[in-house]
Amino acid sequence: MPPNAELLPGTLDVLILKAVSLGRLHGYGVLLRIEQISGGALQIQQGALYPALYRLEHQGLIDAEWGTSENNRRAKFYRLTASGRKRLGVETASWNRLAAAIARSLAATPQEI
Amino acid sequence: MYPSELVARVRSLWRGLRNRDTVETQMLEEFRLHLELRTADLVRTGLTEEQAARQARLEFGHSEHHRVDARQSRGLMFFDQLRFSALDVKLGVRMLVKHRGLSLVSVIGLAVAIAMSAGAFSLSESLLETQLPLPEGDRIVALRNRNVAEPGQNSASLRDFMTWQSELRSVRDVAAFTMARRNLVAPGVELIPVDIVRITASGLGLARTAPIMGRLLLEEDERADRHVVVISFEAWRRRFASDAQIIGRSIGLGTDQYTIVGVMPEGFRFPVNDQYWIPLSIRAAEQGHVDAVPLTIAARLVDGATLQSAQAELNGIGRRMSLLHVETYRDLRPQILPYSRAFFGFDDPTIVWQAYVLRLFLSLLVVVVSVNVGILVYARTATRMGEIAVRTALGANRTRVVTQLFAEALALSIPGAAVGLLIASIALTKLEQLAKQEMVTRSFGELPFWVHLRVSPSVVIYSVLLAILGAAVVGVVPALKATGRHVQVSLQQLSARGATRMQLGRAWTTLIIAQVAVAVAVLPFAVHFTQDAIGAASAPRYPAERFLGGSLGMDQAMMQADTGAFVQHVRDERFRSLAADLIRRVETDPLVLGVTIRSHLDRERVEVELISSAGSVSVIKSRSIMVDMVGPNLFTLHDMPVIAGRTFLQSDVDAGIRTAVVNKVFARTILRDTGSISTAVGHRIRIVQQNANAEGFETGSWLQIVGVVDDFGDNETKRAYVPTKIGLLSAPIDFVIRMRAQPAMAFAPRLRGLAAAVDPVLQIDGLISADERLRQRQLFPRYLAIGMSALTVSVLLLSAAGIYAMMSFIVARRRREIGIRAALGADPRRVLSSIFARASAQIAVGILVGLLGTLALEQVTGKGPVRDGNIVVLFFVAALMTTIGLLAAVHPALRGLAIQPTEALREE
Repeated sequence: MPPNAELLPGTLDVLILKAVSLGRLHGYGVLLRIEQISGGALQIQQGALYPALYRLEHQGLIDAEWGTSENNRRAKFYRLTASGRKRLGVETASWNRLAAAIARSLAATPQEI
Repeated sequence: MYPSELVARVRSLWRGLRNRDTVETQMLEEFRLHLELRTADLVRTGLTEEQAARQARLEFGHSEHHRVDARQSRGLMFFDQLRFSALDVKLGVRMLVKHRGLSLVSVIGLAVAIAMSAGAFSLSESLLETQLPLPEGDRIVALRNRNVAEPGQNSASLRDFMTWQSELRSVRDVAAFTMARRNLVAPGVELIPVDIVRITASGLGLARTAPIMGRLLLEEDERADRHVVVISFEAWRRRFASDAQIIGRSIGLGTDQYTIVGVMPEGFRFPVNDQYWIPLSIRAAEQGHVDAVPLTIAARLVDGATLQSAQAELNGIGRRMSLLHVETYRDLRPQILPYSRAFFGFDDPTIVWQAYVLRLFLSLLVVVVSVNVGILVYARTATRMGEIAVRTALGANRTRVVTQLFAEALALSIPGAAVGLLIASIALTKLEQLAKQEMVTRSFGELPFWVHLRVSPSVVIYSVLLAILGAAVVGVVPALKATGRHVQVSLQQLSARGATRMQLGRAWTTLIIAQVAVAVAVLPFAVHFTQDAIGAASAPRYPAERFLGGSLGMDQAMMQADTGAFVQHVRDERFRSLAADLIRRVETDPLVLGVTIRSHLDRERVEVELISSAGSVSVIKSRSIMVDMVGPNLFTLHDMPVIAGRTFLQSDVDAGIRTAVVNKVFARTILRDTGSISTAVGHRIRIVQQNANAEGFETGSWLQIVGVVDDFGDNETKRAYVPTKIGLLSAPIDFVIRMRAQPAMAFAPRLRGLAAAVDPVLQIDGLISADERLRQRQLFPRYLAIGMSALTVSVLLLSAAGIYAMMSFIVARRRREIGIRAALGADPRRVLSSIFARASAQIAVGILVGLLGTLALEQVTGKGPVRDGNIVVLFFVAALMTTIGLLAAVHPALRGLAIQPTEALREE
């Protein structure tokens, strides 16, 4: 298992959007999906998850409906809305630009200066 | 933020606020599921059920924190803090009871302010309302010509009606009407004059209201000049005893017979407040004088048309008319506006805006009073700094504390609004009665059917909003101040048991000075109005219950196009002969002691010039003198003694009018420089009458004052009597009948019968006994006095409370100092004077500013204590304010003296 990476502030929202873009999930499912797609590198503080989910729902980026969980209990399932998809696209592009810029900066050698 | 995101946020907020409990339950359910699923996963890693559950809870953290964070994420925290709990309300009520004096003063102050604002709101709502209570009533409009050369002179003629009816496309049902007054003559029905409206068939169609019996007026009725009438539900019920066979019944309106063809539903009074509708038949004579036939014109906007589009179309027609008929239309500009606005003359957007601004200004009155109350509450809040500090220390944030103080302020302002609405409701009912009475007395007809002065639901909503605004000012301002930087200091002081550090600084001083000044400035006027009311209430010096007054007129011939001087002369001759005949008959009636004429000249249009008996020494012009045209027997009929000179003789009217008699008030006030009352005899006066139709004045000849008569005691104003007789007057004239026995009103039906026997064209209006007329006349000054007194009392109370609060505060702050001074054996008088110093200075400055205000108000209004020679009132007011102010200071000052030195020192 790769070592845990520290989650940068503001990145939880985009990770949740990505997780639910792959299929509808309940709260705990979102947590597991993020751990899964990050290869276990990212561990979410469980308490922080729900305020973030409600914030995204409040903003209309994700939508929720009640269904049945794998242990046959009533569960609230989240899915991405059209606005959420748009926001995910914008955030992903922005993140990629930032990551590339940082990667480039960190890979710089004295010869390149 | 995208619009969709905004919609989502609003929806989420709404859901969160509306289904608070459901949202909470679902949140906890979600947390529970999370813990269960995590526990199950941990069990699969080899932990026992118990260990797994514990581990899952540890990883999840404190669910209460997550719940709070989640509510914050949904934007609900702000509203959570704003929520009133039952405890807030309970605390508010407890504060209300605990500080009874403050509560009472605040509630009274807020109630008076809210009553005035709500009353003004209701009044302006009635006057500015454009929605008539008829189907699609907001689309009914008035059409008329504005005269640009003579502002305020708006008109429409038969020509306009014909042109607009045939050409305008933006409106439909173009209707014309004109009013007249006729005697209603029918067997078994009391003979009374009634207002009738001559209206085109389109007029009743415009109102889109079906009759409950019979039919409306038809166009054929107009063309064939049929004598048919549609009557109101109320007339049907009241005058015709709900006769089921009313349709087809014949009634007389003036000298003509009409057949009733329809009865309108209850409450229907279009176009103004009418009950008898007859067809507007245009006669041949009128068609020859289309510009000389004045009409009121109304119509309904067609679907899709707006006032602007209709105005544009009307302008086009207006331009053509001014080219075709240059003389008539040179200064006329056609205008279309909402029907009710035209009625009240709100034809200019500026006037409407002024009305709204006035309304806003009166709303601000609530803010002003609230600021006053707020500062009083601030003093109360100051004594609770410890409590606020402890609450803050225990975790209550600023919003929470402010909300609680706001709830407490609401506990003050809501009863204030309730009492205010009650006052407004009573005042509006009285005002409507008064307005109706005034309209009838002045023969203006009645209030239009859409005006109802009452506390409507919108007035209630407005008042509640004012109460909330008031509470925001009363509660939030002191709360913000109290929860600011002071909190920490208070907390420290709390442990040291010291006094609070909240200050009553310059704002407080200014406020108290302003309050005292306003009370002092307004008080003399309140006294003045109260004196007026008492004056009006004084008992007449003649047996008023035996006098019956009224007005005698003559049916105006319908829509005369040829109103030349000759016809007017013939009309006057006829009226005089009929009136003389009636007076003869009344005089010989066994129930009657005598009859005379007493007509008032319109005070607005009259000036009296005075010249001394010694020659042209001085000429005094005064507009405040009432001039009565009276029969020579007026004084003897009222048993009024002549104090100086003589009364009128028959010769005074037979050989041209050369004499006048004045009353005692006239002699005393106008001629006060000339010595005794009797010296008034020999002076000359001249009535300078402003002509309504021509510019300038029409000046009469000089009249010699031949006598001074005692005041009648019913209306103590300066009065000059000029002798007259029927042969010199035109209709209508006012008469007075003295009965041998009371009550005078019992003679009314008999008088109407006598008039009808002389000629049905004679109209008797406004019959009322003198004592009832006096009672009605006293109402307005009485209401005005009550209103002014209420305002003054509330200002007085607020300033007294302000001084009281300030003194209490000073004593509280100087508690220790006073204690030490007392311990050291200081003279109680010196301690007292030091306590009183600040209050006295503020009261003195307030009184000074207030007196200057009185003088300034006197300059503006032209009325006041100095002009009335009533300077004593000013001293009275100054003394009253000083007493109230010092009394308010006494209790806290005595409390200060009662402090035991040991107690004050122990608190250290």
